[in-house]
Amino acid sequence: MTIQIKLTSLMVEDQTRALEFYTTVLGFKKKQDFPVGEYRCITVVAAEGREDLELALEPNVNPAAKTFQKALFDQGIPATAFEVSDLEAEHARLKAAGVAFTQPPTKLAQVSIAVFSDTIGNLIQLYQPPR
Amino acid sequence: MFIQGITFRRLCHARDLLHEIHDSISIAGLAEQAGISQFHFIRQFEAVFGSTPHQLRIQARIERAKDMLLRDEASVTEVCMDIGFSSLGSFSSSFARRVGMSPSDYRRSRRGLTQVQAQLIAPGCYAMLAFLPAEAFRNFGEA
Repeated sequence: MTIQIKLTSLMVEDQTRALEFYTTVLGFKKKQDFPVGEYRCITVVAAEGREDLELALEPNVNPAAKTFQKALFDQGIPATAFEVSDLEAEHARLKAAGVAFTQPPTKLAQVSIAVFSDTIGNLIQLYQPPR
Repeated sequence: MFIQGITFRRLCHARDLLHEIHDSISIAGLAEQAGISQFHFIRQFEAVFGSTPHQLRIQARIERAKDMLLRDEASVTEVCMDIGFSSLGSFSSSFARRVGMSPSDYRRSRRGLTQVQAQLIAPGCYAMLAFLPAEAFRNFGEA
């Protein structure tokens, strides 16, 4: 197959703080980090996931990006979602690390979800698929 | 910690007020408006936004200063007064701490670059790939 999905992106207010949060707190691994003008091209991968699925933490300096990001956040809408195998355990771990949840673990039909603030302008949903 | 819906909305409103450069409501006043004790207000605010209310207010003022310096419409002293710093010394040191250079150096270093930067950073990280060194593509390719 020649066309694939390998890279997605998340807009962040501050790339340095974003890299810190996504690695130290969430536990992702830094993959790319190159300077681009006064910004950086940063990607992270899941510590125990595939190395070839990258999440770029891109600066939200474009006013359109800021407006969109803030509108989602203020309405309580997650910017993206990450899968976990044990939602209760992840929730407990992140809560202990000082992460603020706007939705505690909640079972919705087959899937359990929770939502937290990534402190750089996004709400992030965690979901646990049916076992 | 768990932030209830109503508290979340109040924290978002407080964040908006902190971006109002010319309206300096006190942190205690913001906490009171949000209906939260000052201690919990600061703690919850930091957990949601990654900065204390005071840090966010300073950051908002520095961002406004950067914008004014780029547009080249005012002297450094005028920028300092506009964003509500009482002394040029405290403005310059606060600016340098966060931006890595003095306000006048920032203006000099960015002169003529504004247009380029605005075009360069389009939402969607893919535009940035054009500026990566060749080895980055090798990594992407291997991945």
